[in-house]
Amino acid sequence: MHKVWRIAVRDYLAAVKTKGFIIGLAVVPVIMSGSVLAMILLKDQVDTRGKKIAVIDHTGIVAEAIVDAARERNEKEVYEENTGDKIKPEYIIEIVNMDQANPDQQKLELSDQVRRGDLHGFVEIFPEAIHPSQNWDETHIAYYAKNAALDDIRRWLISPINVRLRSERLARLGIAETDEEELFAWLSVEGRNLIERDTKTGDVQDAQKSEEWHAVVVPIIMLMLMFILILMGASPLLNAVMEEKLQRIAEVLLGSIQPFQLMLGKLIGGIMVTLTGASVYILAGVFAVMQLGIYQIVPMYIIPWFFIYLILAVFMLGSIFAALGSAASDVKDAQSMTFPAMIPVLIPMFILTPVLKEPLSDFSTWMSLVPLFTPMLMMVRMGTPQGIPMWQPWVGLVGVILFTILSVWASGRIFRVGILLQGSTPKLSRIIKWIIKG
Amino acid sequence: MNAVELAGVTKTFGTLTAVKALDLKVPEGRVYGFIGPNGSGKTTTLRMIMNIYYPDSGEIKIFNEKLQGAVSDRIGYMPEERGLYKKMKVGELLIFYGGLKNGKNLSKEVDEWLERFDLMEWKNKKIETLSKGMSQKVQFIATVISQPELIILDEPFSGLDPVNMDIIRETILELQKEGRTVIFSTHDMNVAERMCDYIFMIYKGEKVLDDTLEAIQDRYGDDTIRLRLANAHVNLTGINGITKVNNFGHLQEIRIAEQADPQKILRTILGMTAVKSFEIAKPSLHDIFVRIAGPETMEVNHA
Repeated sequence: MHKVWRIAVRDYLAAVKTKGFIIGLAVVPVIMSGSVLAMILLKDQVDTRGKKIAVIDHTGIVAEAIVDAARERNEKEVYEENTGDKIKPEYIIEIVNMDQANPDQQKLELSDQVRRGDLHGFVEIFPEAIHPSQNWDETHIAYYAKNAALDDIRRWLISPINVRLRSERLARLGIAETDEEELFAWLSVEGRNLIERDTKTGDVQDAQKSEEWHAVVVPIIMLMLMFILILMGASPLLNAVMEEKLQRIAEVLLGSIQPFQLMLGKLIGGIMVTLTGASVYILAGVFAVMQLGIYQIVPMYIIPWFFIYLILAVFMLGSIFAALGSAASDVKDAQSMTFPAMIPVLIPMFILTPVLKEPLSDFSTWMSLVPLFTPMLMMVRMGTPQGIPMWQPWVGLVGVILFTILSVWASGRIFRVGILLQGSTPKLSRIIKWIIKG
Repeated sequence: MNAVELAGVTKTFGTLTAVKALDLKVPEGRVYGFIGPNGSGKTTTLRMIMNIYYPDSGEIKIFNEKLQGAVSDRIGYMPEERGLYKKMKVGELLIFYGGLKNGKNLSKEVDEWLERFDLMEWKNKKIETLSKGMSQKVQFIATVISQPELIILDEPFSGLDPVNMDIIRETILELQKEGRTVIFSTHDMNVAERMCDYIFMIYKGEKVLDDTLEAIQDRYGDDTIRLRLANAHVNLTGINGITKVNNFGHLQEIRIAEQADPQKILRTILGMTAVKSFEIAKPSLHDIFVRIAGPETMEVNHA
């Protein structure tokens, strides 16, 4: 066993002593959350040049309201209150009198102005907009611009136009403006956890507020961590084994150690790498949770489960990666094998949304009991506020253990033959033959 | 006692029989040379001795024990293709390889071997910075660092310059003096002739020679004449009684027919050019190798 340990320690040190590992440890979570971060950081990166918008108001009552709303917005939102920096563009509204004789020609000319850059866009409010249930041709509102669908101004226009039209409708119905606020008050439905009885005092506890981000943040973080850590420990085995094979190091090692022991050593090395990463992330996570005072949203009982599933996942998937690495004959082969080998960690990512929404559905339950997906999906389900029946992680665990034994056994058989095989990469049928016949 | 004993060992890969019913006994403390053409089964045999390949049939014993578990720690193995972790430092790598064989006093051994091979200043350098010759020496040290009783070297001299070749050769002989058994494969017949107590030749998976050099040469008789001629371009092939001419430029090696008279052949050659030296000898290992595995045999085999 100490030979296995020596292989594990060498592989572990070879992995963690590199700059790549240390940088990766810090960078991978940043990249994973990079798009969100980038969106947050870049959301203020807007073009602050003033935007001139023409309004053709067939109703005759809305244009002024848009002018007023634009003025109010320009005063309140364009400049940063503390620094005085300009952070948004002003909206300059120009009311255009409708050309009754040739409306199409007028819109063409306005479009040309937009093309030349003299105008940002123009909005046309059709005459019967106040009665939207009538003929659509006469009631709709159109916004014309170069990138109209994604233009912020199109979204901004919705509110002043509708508020003005609504007021007009109320006025015509004889409802006072002062009643308007209450009339249109909109109440949301607040999510709450279930009522529990305090086990110590016996008192009925107030249900905690169940906020959307509470419900998703723990499962998503668990899934992401599992994904990153499996990739950290298991997937490098494919290349590592292939390189040892191609550089003929494997033959030297096999002069001292059995192929299965060699694979086992490499798997343990992978697990040690993963656990190093996991410790860093979990400690950092616990620290962050304590600092933010949101520890109540993290069900701490899942942390031991996290480590158990993580270790088994690296064993299970790592052995598959090692077997494929032993069968690969060049870098190209290894690259083409990487994607199919990644499928067990990619599928849980693809089905995250339905599992997150309904963690107790049949679909979620059965998918999380498929051993290849269990480590990731069970963590997602356990991380949701409602949790899952306690028998499920145990059943999942048994499945994962059995499947891990099977995959390590089968991979060991592939590894034993593949690691010494030079030349072309064997076909799948031959690999299966190695598993069956040894 | 025999260090290695193979009895009726056969190994096939698909339809190819790489080694066929092979018997071999390597006595302890001897240097045993494996020769044979490429693809004849040398490496397969060595890998089976190392338990890297499992024979389909037959039995392999190392120091009278069945090949498994701890007995592999008594064997040092250097494969034909060198395998070193490029990113590891020389000293760390040697301790790692030695540790895999349960070697003792590895730090001390590493220093001694590096000193002996003039590599001490490279101890803390990464393998990727070494020249090819230096890497070969490191690989050799990795093989012997755990002080194995049986040392198996697959082509230990390939790619080495004469200086490094001498260093490895001398070291192998010193290890033999210490009582270790050494098996090595080589394509260099001169090395095999000079170093090996026993020579074993495998051809198409079957044993064709397995004896001391002297006994092998005796079997082929005194049918070889080595000549140095004043005019190296004289055509000797037409002379009656000469069956084969190997012209090495400054040296001609001829094989004569069984009943031919060497003196008569000498007189004929003297009539053509002056003779600087004339020696009736046993055939060289090179010649024996070519007789077994050369084109002549191929032709006979195909006929």
